[in-house]
Amino acid sequence: MRGTTAVFLAGGRGQGLGVLTEHRAPAAVPFGGKYRLIDFSLSNCNHSEIVEVALLTQHAPTSLNEHVGSGRSWDLDRAQGGLRILQPFASRHRARWTEGPADALLRNLSEFDEAGTERLLVGSAEHVYLLDYSDLVTSHIESESPLSITYNRVAQGSVREARRIEVHNGRVRQLGRNKELVSGGELAAIGLFVFEMDFLRSAADARTPRTLFEWVAAAVERGVPVNAFEHEGFWADPVDLPTYYRTSMSLLASDPPLSLADPLWTVETHGEERPPARFLESSRVKESLVAGGCVVAGHVERSILFGGVVVEEGARVVDSIVFQDVRVGAGAALDHVIVDKSVDIGESALLGEGPWPVAVDELAALAVIGKEARLPARFRLARGGVVPVADRAMAAAR
Amino acid sequence: MSLPSYAFLLAGGVGARLCLLSEKRAKPAVPFGAKYRIIDFTLSNCVNSGIFDVNVLTQYRPTSLNQHIGNGRAWDLDRTRGGVRLLGPYLGSPENDWYRGTADAVYQNLIHVRNRRAEDLLILSGDHIYKMDYNAMLEFHRDRRAAVTIAVTLVPPEETSQYGILELDSRGKVVGFEEKPAEARSQLASMGVYVFRRDVLWQALEADAEDEHSAHDFGRDVLPSLLAQGADVYGYLFPQYWQDVGTIDAFYAANLALLADRPPIDLSDPDWVIHTAILDLPAVRLGNDARVERSLIANGARIDGRVVRSVISPGVVVESGAEIVDSILMNDTRVLPGARVERAILDKQVWVGQGARVEGGSGPANRVCPDHLHGGLALVGKGATIPDGITVGANARIDPDVAPEDFEGDVGAGEVVWNPRVAPGAQSHGHPGGREKAALSR
Repeated sequence: MRGTTAVFLAGGRGQGLGVLTEHRAPAAVPFGGKYRLIDFSLSNCNHSEIVEVALLTQHAPTSLNEHVGSGRSWDLDRAQGGLRILQPFASRHRARWTEGPADALLRNLSEFDEAGTERLLVGSAEHVYLLDYSDLVTSHIESESPLSITYNRVAQGSVREARRIEVHNGRVRQLGRNKELVSGGELAAIGLFVFEMDFLRSAADARTPRTLFEWVAAAVERGVPVNAFEHEGFWADPVDLPTYYRTSMSLLASDPPLSLADPLWTVETHGEERPPARFLESSRVKESLVAGGCVVAGHVERSILFGGVVVEEGARVVDSIVFQDVRVGAGAALDHVIVDKSVDIGESALLGEGPWPVAVDELAALAVIGKEARLPARFRLARGGVVPVADRAMAAAR
Repeated sequence: MSLPSYAFLLAGGVGARLCLLSEKRAKPAVPFGAKYRIIDFTLSNCVNSGIFDVNVLTQYRPTSLNQHIGNGRAWDLDRTRGGVRLLGPYLGSPENDWYRGTADAVYQNLIHVRNRRAEDLLILSGDHIYKMDYNAMLEFHRDRRAAVTIAVTLVPPEETSQYGILELDSRGKVVGFEEKPAEARSQLASMGVYVFRRDVLWQALEADAEDEHSAHDFGRDVLPSLLAQGADVYGYLFPQYWQDVGTIDAFYAANLALLADRPPIDLSDPDWVIHTAILDLPAVRLGNDARVERSLIANGARIDGRVVRSVISPGVVVESGAEIVDSILMNDTRVLPGARVERAILDKQVWVGQGARVEGGSGPANRVCPDHLHGGLALVGKGATIPDGITVGANARIDPDVAPEDFEGDVGAGEVVWNPRVAPGAQSHGHPGGREKAALSR
């Protein structure tokens, strides 16, 4: 895909993900037993043969930087092109943070000018989907439009908070400026665009709106031809904890809607070298994903265990998601809990216990434990409760 | 600051005792411990010891080894200076030919050492399971001002006849050496890990190359001749786990030993990671009917049946109602509903049909390889298909790529199912009847 640079927006706060994004960019949030959200976009690039990739960061980029490194896991460590991380920086004339995705994109425009880029494919770094970007780019080029936007059909029987889109003969007829409730069977826009560089240059002078959607909507209203590309496969935007949880749990279905094991479209990630998962004599595990390096002696049901999780004898992990290197002490019980990395759960702790809320709102039903928390033996946390991220200084002093 | 180290890794042997498992691949490339290959342990020892100049000498069936090691990236051996090189035999000058033995393999590649500063050269074997910091041995070697240092390990008396056996004095100097003695005078066995002073190696190999009576083997020829000349050869006792996995039974036992509560070798030590080629595979998937006890399961496997005391490689599928007990299943093998596998080794891409039973136990030794397949295991070669409902017994051997029509019914203890599409001469053992059967089917 010569002439196309992929740009992924990874600067958001990810407020909907609560303690999971307190110290990390949303794109670096672990997902699916061994991945991070950014892996899907970068793997798509590798398979689509897009070799010029930029990540625009701002909020808590450390874990994201560490994860993507030189881009080697996605064959993006290249002499020509490859992966670039563009973080806001201060110059002699200005030092200001970016104000939303459109601003972030335009401020870095000169970076792409130098690379001889004809067009930018711009997406969120946090979306979960498998897509051959060359299909999108080809559709964009054939349409001869200065810009393209992607959409999909909201699943029957569900409702999504999104921007409504109307499409006629492959052209956008109308795009909602604001999110609304779009119901099953209707079309909703996805934050995945292609912009001709010429179009971006001309837009750079005008007063820029905050989001790219507003920008595209304005272009539609001005009569600019905007190409519409339909994405038909699995797609998720884990924008808040309930969506994150539901998306994760959909992987446990016997025939999951998102295939992580397609040898022709592998999902690549920064290699954590872990030994095979160990199941001990007393282990009982079903309907679960268990990653390398786990040692399971207890019960695990409908759960996702990331690398290096230890579930001791007599412990029960049910309907839960447990990030890397967590110890679940003997006799502890987890029910509808998301546990961040390197948490230590003491013996016989009870997390997520208690009656279901009167109205079963999933956020109220999920307990979340922040990174590196140390939960003492017999610690109890009610359904929907939150333990904040451990303060490192405090933890070191202890 | 010591000089950079340089290693030759011998990976060219035939590995006949591993029977089917090494028929189409070099022994160091045989899968081990669910996600590794045997050579991963030695390669990881090198990089974990800070040795980044590793020359892998290959000869027999190197394809899978080449593919596995690639450019060495998984071991951080994709380097500008040094790194990993795969050195097979080649033609071009009168000195070059097939490697006549381990010593000859190194001799033919000594030229690569010329531009290196290393004073001591490591000679390693790619056949063993162990975690060893070679620096400790190098230090011992330098401290003793040795010409050659041989790493030794303690083996049980009944195994001494399989190894080179050393006698050491109190400082570790070798005072006796016998290659595979019928009656050993000690239990100190050579691990096939040597440190040679550069000039000593150079001279010894040049002399060996010209010796018409030599088999050009380090253990059989080079070391005895150095000792006969009175060279300062020392034995370095390595006190930790070291396991030769050169026989089917040893290979099986070493794999299953990993399932113990405290396995003899720790694969999860963050300070001594065993690196292996990267496969982009998702976490292990366990289904609604899954039941797993005391097993090691690699990423990319999918378990819907029952798995007990087994070692399961990436991409293996155990379907609902299937049962795997005391077995080793290599990559992408699939076991269909109602099938049962017990005391068996299934190589890669094996297909076990519905209700089939591959069950080792006890019975007569295998009819064509009685010396290698007699411990009761059932052995199924890469890509073989076991038809629905068929039973395969102890010490039975199912050849690679056999198809359902190659079976004439159940396979009794010690029996063999040949692949008639393979020319008899191409197989490692005699092939009675194969040609006739192939002719009939034509």
